[in-house]
Amino acid sequence: MIAYVVRRVALTVPILLAVLTLVFLLVRVAPGDPAVAALGDLASREAVEALRVRMGLDQPLWRQYVQFLAGLGRGDLGRSLITGVPVAQQVGSVLPHTLQLTFAGVLIGIVFGAPLGVLTALHRNRLLDYLGRTFSLAGLSVPAFYLGILLMLLFSIQLRWFPVVGAGDFADPLENLYYLVLPALTLGLIMTAYVTRMTRSAMLNILGEDYVRTARSKGLVERRVIYTHAFRNALIPIISVVGIHAIELIGSAVMTEIVFSRPGLGRLLVGAMMRRDYIALQSIMVIYAGFVVLLNLVTDLSYGFIDPRIRYE
Amino acid sequence: MKTVLSLFCTVLLVGSIAWGVELAERQLLRIAFDAGDLSTLDPHFAAATMDRGVVDMIYNGLVRYRPGNIDPEYIEPDLAERWTVSEDGLTWMFYLREGVYFHPFPGYPDGYELTADDVVYSLEKAADPQRSGYSGMYGGMSFEALDEYTVRITLAEPESPLLFLPKVADYSGGFIVSKRALEENGLDWFRSNPVGTGPFAFAEYRPMDRVVLVRNERYFRGAPVLEQVEIRYMPDLSARELGLRRGELHLIEGLREQPWVEKVEGLPEDLAVDVFGPGETHVVHFNTRVPPLDDVRVRQALAYAISREELMVFIGERVTQPLYSPVPEFLAGGLTREQAEARGLLYEVDRDKARALLAEAGYPDGFGVDVIITEMASYLSPTQAIQAQLTHVGIAKDLRVVEHSTFHSLIRDDLSAMVHYECWRPNADVFLTHFYHSASRVVYGERPITNFSHFYQADYPIERARVALDPEEQTGWWKEAQFRILEDMAAYPLYILGFVYARQPELDYVHDLVAIAALYPQITEKTRILAGS
Amino acid sequence: MNTRQLWRTFWRNKTAVAGVIVALGVVFMALLAPVISPYDPLQQNVYYRLTGPERAHLFGTDVYGRDVLSRVIHGARVSLLVGVTSVLIGMGAGTLLGMTAGLLRGKVETGIMRAVDVVMCFPDLILGIMVMAVLGSGLDKLIITIGVVMTPRFARMVYGTTLSITEQDYIDAARSIGAPVWRLLMRHVLPNCLGGVLVMASLWTGAAIRIEANLSFIGMGVAPPTATWGNMIRAGIDHLTNAPWLSVFPGLAILITILAFNMLGDGIRDVTDPRLRGG
Repeated sequence: MIAYVVRRVALTVPILLAVLTLVFLLVRVAPGDPAVAALGDLASREAVEALRVRMGLDQPLWRQYVQFLAGLGRGDLGRSLITGVPVAQQVGSVLPHTLQLTFAGVLIGIVFGAPLGVLTALHRNRLLDYLGRTFSLAGLSVPAFYLGILLMLLFSIQLRWFPVVGAGDFADPLENLYYLVLPALTLGLIMTAYVTRMTRSAMLNILGEDYVRTARSKGLVERRVIYTHAFRNALIPIISVVGIHAIELIGSAVMTEIVFSRPGLGRLLVGAMMRRDYIALQSIMVIYAGFVVLLNLVTDLSYGFIDPRIRYE
Repeated sequence: MKTVLSLFCTVLLVGSIAWGVELAERQLLRIAFDAGDLSTLDPHFAAATMDRGVVDMIYNGLVRYRPGNIDPEYIEPDLAERWTVSEDGLTWMFYLREGVYFHPFPGYPDGYELTADDVVYSLEKAADPQRSGYSGMYGGMSFEALDEYTVRITLAEPESPLLFLPKVADYSGGFIVSKRALEENGLDWFRSNPVGTGPFAFAEYRPMDRVVLVRNERYFRGAPVLEQVEIRYMPDLSARELGLRRGELHLIEGLREQPWVEKVEGLPEDLAVDVFGPGETHVVHFNTRVPPLDDVRVRQALAYAISREELMVFIGERVTQPLYSPVPEFLAGGLTREQAEARGLLYEVDRDKARALLAEAGYPDGFGVDVIITEMASYLSPTQAIQAQLTHVGIAKDLRVVEHSTFHSLIRDDLSAMVHYECWRPNADVFLTHFYHSASRVVYGERPITNFSHFYQADYPIERARVALDPEEQTGWWKEAQFRILEDMAAYPLYILGFVYARQPELDYVHDLVAIAALYPQITEKTRILAGS
Repeated sequence: MNTRQLWRTFWRNKTAVAGVIVALGVVFMALLAPVISPYDPLQQNVYYRLTGPERAHLFGTDVYGRDVLSRVIHGARVSLLVGVTSVLIGMGAGTLLGMTAGLLRGKVETGIMRAVDVVMCFPDLILGIMVMAVLGSGLDKLIITIGVVMTPRFARMVYGTTLSITEQDYIDAARSIGAPVWRLLMRHVLPNCLGGVLVMASLWTGAAIRIEANLSFIGMGVAPPTATWGNMIRAGIDHLTNAPWLSVFPGLAILITILAFNMLGDGIRDVTDPRLRGG
């Protein structure tokens, strides 16, 4: 087991290195110039050139690459080319908002999605099932930014219950929550759709398994069958599926941040992209990719724990 | 008599209670700019609107524009109490105010007193292309501290006060920064930790969210009324608007279109909308090197195909003013409608004439032209409207929309046949030099800036105007330069787009909003929030 | 189960049928856009801007006075074109890569599959944003970008199928008698992969359309004035308080289209994976 873990972890190292290289190259191949973005339109070409030198953009690519890797090795993400703020500080200030949003979204998804999934599975092909499936299909189909706009129109503009954008101070939990509701709901509804669907199919699978049938035939009370046998066993695939879909959820989280103008990693990424802030951009991309690698690793390892056969693969 | 007097006194008393100002309890001002984040708070790099505003509250210049008014006529003392200029116009002496203190920064919990040393350091920084985006304005100048409170600036060529004073005013390179803060902490630190002498001191920056400024109790004009100013970065208009309507914000950057102005004025919340100058000129520059635009008849045809009036209806007459020459008419050297018309250079829409000119140039069926444009609404909207207008004479304008910084890179690489440009420049010289002097030609010039037309026929008048000390002679040369530009139709001036902000009526700037160099309504030490009605 | 039975099960699946009908509707809307849209989607009318839904303009007009309904109808062209072609590109490239890796094994396999692993480290949208930034905006670039995003996903699946096929005896037998690789490919591998690939393609068309909408909304998609649903919503968001129709209608079009493709994909999957048949 330990050998497998070690091997699996070791495998991520070359992948991470390749990810870093790919990010570094992609970022620099893109047209546009951070010096122009930083200086604005009044600057002369001379000033732009001077700034390029100061930013280190005149250095040969390989040297920039070595600097990038060396910095990462030291845990130094560098400074934003535009604002001069250390990227670590930028990320540090927005990351709590992103994590909070994602966590709230996943939480809503599990709290509402799991029971809904069980219910639809139990009422298979009846009205409740159709409603549940329609809802989850709609949730899987709706782009996060559009759902966000609809919620905004209803709750902020029509009813005026919630603020439209931004994020509350962490120092003021109530205000913080107040700002979180709509974005979390946006992400949460989409996540609910995923979880409902996964729970339903996992439950259907397990309800068809022999041991559940046996339990039923033994005359156990239906509710007990469902909870002690079926749902528990369904939980494992559900959780792993949540893990995998968390990756797909990243895109929705980015769009939610954009549409609600919340400070967050996704908006930081798009902002850095627009201003060609190479240094910030490459770090943010690496963080996202690193997150995916980590998630994959955890998912893989958890499979290994759940199903011992996988270890010997 | 006595009763009349007492009645008069009563009226006065009642009047002063009614008219006297009652301040709101909390003097916390919240502004929202149309931006996702700041770019830089180094005043010598700050160019974008959202940065200029913040920098304006933190820093001072040697001299300053009167709050709310950009007219160089009203330039008044700021950090310098007074100044003199030698007769040859080459040597300027500035005598500094004593007892001006910089904001606190690490190692200096009480700041320190500003001296000539800081001023010289600051102006040298502004003149250094490595450390400033405005170095071009300070070429050939040298700066010396004669004693603690005296600064001498020596020019290579004489400049009229009209051209020189804005360079040391509270605008762009003229802002005075703290030498010690910069030397001890470095430029990178300084970019997001500004240290100045202005009414508000920097307190906090949260990326993608806000900047917080606090009252500078030791401000040399007296402690500001406002305790704190919060600048929010909110790129979404609906969000800013709702924030204002809900009372969470006091002042927001609006949409520079008339329908929006009218909508906000019609809202039940009783909000005020300010439309003010100087605004930004909108000009279409034609690339005179690219066929078929290398033919003057084709460029004139384009000009006759565009309807300035229709564009202004589209954007709205309350937020635009017609522009008849590259330099706006309210600046010295700008052309009025009559002056342009007298020379036959008005180019009012005349599509038959446009078609005739096209036929004459050998394009009876029109042609296609590739144009690069930014996705920013104030550029993109009129560009699309012009695109629709040009189809009437058979010209197909193919747009390539890119994001804003890429747009600026690409047009500077001479890649667009037509360049729609929105900008504000402090005076006629900068407008004309940057856009129409041969040295400024993109790619090919000696100091390429923004001459997208590759125009070179006005070098002589532009240069003569620059060194002319007599105002009348100076404006004469500037006008001559513009006649040449319009005759050759190197660029078609469209309109000046004003700035639009909406606010709570309780927010009182104290100054009148006419035109502001910092391109926002300007918050000073006097700005206050009145008690709500 | 033979083909006819498959068809029959498919047609009995109400969700799938509804999906087919709606998707076909969108396809016809796109094909017939110039005929059925009431106005030219680019025709501006400065004097008739931001009017709400009314009889002459069922979906209202936008800031340029253009008819929103006509733009929504024309927007279907971009969404479908991008959705379908990018998935085809991803399908083609991914199938080729996956089969090659699975069949040739060795260094080629390692090279391809590690590259796939690396690219799959990026969430769809983030990879899309990055590639789009490199290529610049435009319809062709958008299609390529989303194709690139789709490729590794197809490659990974086809690779798996190819491996399971090549493990079977008859391939060994064919190899041992010296059958050329391409023939193995065409004869045995490709036909066996095809079913799964098609299911996936139908499922991912919806995903591709969503990525297109996301990129357009960020401002990295097809440039204006071409109408796409994403950039219409983007342009409308500034007028959310006074002209919500600018965002609501194009968004509805996106939602319905993606929903249709997802229903269709679900139906196909239900048919091919009998365990999950829902009914």
